[in-house]
Amino acid sequence: MPLVVLLCGVLVLYPIGFLINESLNVGDPSTFPPEQYGFDNYTNLIDDAHILGNTALVASIATVLAVLFGFLQAWILTRTNIPGRQRLERLMELPYYMTPLIGALAWGVLLGPKTGLVNQAWRALGSPVDLFNIYSPYGIAWVMALFEGTIAFVMISASMKSMDPSLEESSRVLGAGKLRTALRITLPLVAPGVLSATIFVFAEMLGSFAAAFVLGIPGRFYVVTTAIWEATLSFPPDYGRAAAMGLSLFGVMLITLTLARLVLRHGTYTTITGKGFRPREMDVGRMRWPLLGIAWGYIIVAVILPLGALMLTSFERFATVILPQMHFTLANYQTALQMGSVGPAFVNSLTLGISVATIGVPVMGVLAWIIYRSRMPGRGVAEYVIMFPQAVPRLVFGLGLLWAWINLPIPIYGTLWLLALAYFTVFLPLGLRTIAGVVLQVDPSLEECARVCGAPWIYQMRTVTLPLLRPGMVAAWLLIFIASVRELGVSIFLMGPNSKVIAPAIVNSWLSSSSELSAAMALIQTATIFVAVAILFGLARRVTGVTQ
Amino acid sequence: MHRYAARVLSTALVCGLAWLSPIAARADGACPTPRQMDGFKTCADVAKAESEGSFVLYSTDPEAGSEAELAKFHAMFPKIATNYVRLQAGALYAKLSAERQAKAYLVDVVQLSDISFARDFEKRGGYMSYVSPEMAAYKAEYKSQPEGLWTWGAISMAGIAYNPNLVSKDEAPKTWKDMLDPKWTDSVTVKVSTSGMQHMTWYQMRLLYGDDYWQKFAALKPKAFDSYVQQFDRTVDGQDKVIDTAQYSGYLQFKAKGAPIEYVYPPEGLVAVPEFWGVVKEAPHPEAAKLFLDWFLGVPGQQGYGETLFYNSIRDDVPAPAGGVKASQLKLLFPADWDAFLKTHTQFVREWDKVTGLR
Repeated sequence: MPLVVLLCGVLVLYPIGFLINESLNVGDPSTFPPEQYGFDNYTNLIDDAHILGNTALVASIATVLAVLFGFLQAWILTRTNIPGRQRLERLMELPYYMTPLIGALAWGVLLGPKTGLVNQAWRALGSPVDLFNIYSPYGIAWVMALFEGTIAFVMISASMKSMDPSLEESSRVLGAGKLRTALRITLPLVAPGVLSATIFVFAEMLGSFAAAFVLGIPGRFYVVTTAIWEATLSFPPDYGRAAAMGLSLFGVMLITLTLARLVLRHGTYTTITGKGFRPREMDVGRMRWPLLGIAWGYIIVAVILPLGALMLTSFERFATVILPQMHFTLANYQTALQMGSVGPAFVNSLTLGISVATIGVPVMGVLAWIIYRSRMPGRGVAEYVIMFPQAVPRLVFGLGLLWAWINLPIPIYGTLWLLALAYFTVFLPLGLRTIAGVVLQVDPSLEECARVCGAPWIYQMRTVTLPLLRPGMVAAWLLIFIASVRELGVSIFLMGPNSKVIAPAIVNSWLSSSSELSAAMALIQTATIFVAVAILFGLARRVTGVTQ
Repeated sequence: MHRYAARVLSTALVCGLAWLSPIAARADGACPTPRQMDGFKTCADVAKAESEGSFVLYSTDPEAGSEAELAKFHAMFPKIATNYVRLQAGALYAKLSAERQAKAYLVDVVQLSDISFARDFEKRGGYMSYVSPEMAAYKAEYKSQPEGLWTWGAISMAGIAYNPNLVSKDEAPKTWKDMLDPKWTDSVTVKVSTSGMQHMTWYQMRLLYGDDYWQKFAALKPKAFDSYVQQFDRTVDGQDKVIDTAQYSGYLQFKAKGAPIEYVYPPEGLVAVPEFWGVVKEAPHPEAAKLFLDWFLGVPGQQGYGETLFYNSIRDDVPAPAGGVKASQLKLLFPADWDAFLKTHTQFVREWDKVTGLR
């Protein structure tokens, strides 16, 4: 156990060491190791106070929206008996399949001022002004919430699936209404999952780049990640400022995580006890149809509209939303499929997704168990350390990983091995937080019982703990698989000529070729992940004989 | 005796010429006897290049275009596989620098779109010295000094573009100074401070119209983008009206697709920045890299570059890209003193970030 914690700690802290070192570099940024040290990069952050303020504003709004949407949809799709829940659940995951930058592009097509499709329709009804302006802080937060909100949905769903329904039923028997039961019983019982999701999503929003990049810059609205992008890519590169900005976000993360630990310490959230139960949904009677409407409404707004906008763009000769000047073609798909690097990049991305999720999830499960169940000294510190990669924007962490691994005398730079190791490192927080929500729901007495009966630790984990954590592990597997396939920030710096992955190719296409080609590539990516997930879950069902 | 003396003299002359000819060739820099290939000359050992079997290009060019260009080379040399990594200039250079610092040599040929990066790479001894026989077709100012480190593989030019559905020809700006008209407030786009092209525009306009040109321009609240694709997408869509620093290859690409876009060639000249191509020192496939550079700097490679990426060649014997004008027929704005230009970079970034609202 200590070895697992130590190994994960080293994987995280080793690149962080390089970042801290660089953040203190006040000399030539291209000289490695630095020749002059100082705190100028940190003191100069005062000049960027407005950027930090913008980041906090957008991240807060987006987190509230994402957790709200995620909780509502998770409750409807896991705790009620509306029809077609499994299919809707699969659809809910779709926005997360897509490279977020392309998702932002799709929303630009829909809600762009003057010419966005929705604004055009609104003006056609006689209005002299636009209905929405996506190029605003609220627009950025909206897109971030929809595309990162899937994480909140999957994490909260995992908690809800592990909940004993008899508690809700008792509430109903004692006369509480459905809404009251949801707010007074369901919500407190899934608090660990909701809190885990909130912490994770907030950290994700702080480090979110794509929506702010596509939608913020036209409105002259900059956040930390877009400022880091400019600092890193200019000449001479301002790695020191970028590292200092990135690391400063960990301060915010530290406060959030500490608050969450304090809240969780003062409550009991076990819903899985020695008493047997079968997860079953609540009969919501006539409310089924309005709830089904809400679920579908969200799917239409978050999934179908942006995918439709992307599809429209992908068939155009040049990207436009002005109807009379649209010309349609299949050439973008032809180009995308003919590009020699696209096929291997897809294969590499899927291979990495499957292997990182499959190897990573059991390790992360053990970590979650150590942090929340064991009495190992320093387990609290371990949680802070493991959350580090989530708090630092991926582009900055990618640089840290590049400097760290390229300087080791192990010949893995430019190979898929390094990408796998890097993905494992950056997705440790995702796995930990997803599984943690469920770990806290499992009554420790079950494991104590196994131990009292003489079961060794490994046997207890295999026969008691891991089966009980299955919803969390499945959710973590899915999230890590998808996150790996669409990973961008780390891949940019670590991929080699023979280890290309798909997300940088899509973003490169948007930055240097055309939006319509990028849209075609993004749709191929989404369809590939969708099919891969369906096949993998189908296989898993056949092998284990269980549904998720 | 006379015959003997004449024979000695003639032998000495032949030997002298034979001795001098490599010197003459060395003065040009290329090998004494370049091999004539199909449309270009090379000093590379072709058999060795083929036995190396592959080479890797690091580039900032669009991926689909790069692949098409590399496919043309591969068609001529099927035994040499081609591979590439495409990234934004800053990310590419960060990766390249880290690799060299750690002595991880993966790349053979590098294309850098910004002189700051190319000069820094040269200063750090990153380029292999290889004088391609094709460099003879390039003027001295288009090559490194000494020759053989980097060469201008293409030039990227920028003027002004506008949407004719929103701006009539009469209304359209005619000169760079017309861009200061308040009627363009909230409807003009530029590039961000990481763009070498934007740095060049900033520099040239200050030379032409003085230091306060950009202060007046800032009042228009320009929107800055990383990519020309965003600039053209938004203008074609009517979200903005005019593109300041409009990349010429971008205009040709959008025009070829039938997009509503028109170009202005300001009489002051088009701002121009070169693309720097060279073989990397410690390249793992040096002969294949040299062969590729020869092909690329030759007519077949340059013509292919124009066809796939709409870039203008600096060679006189290469036609303009489809729908475009040859660079030699246009007035281009290059700095008279590149060092003076480079020294302004920090000032440019600071000022430009203010103009575009980043700081």
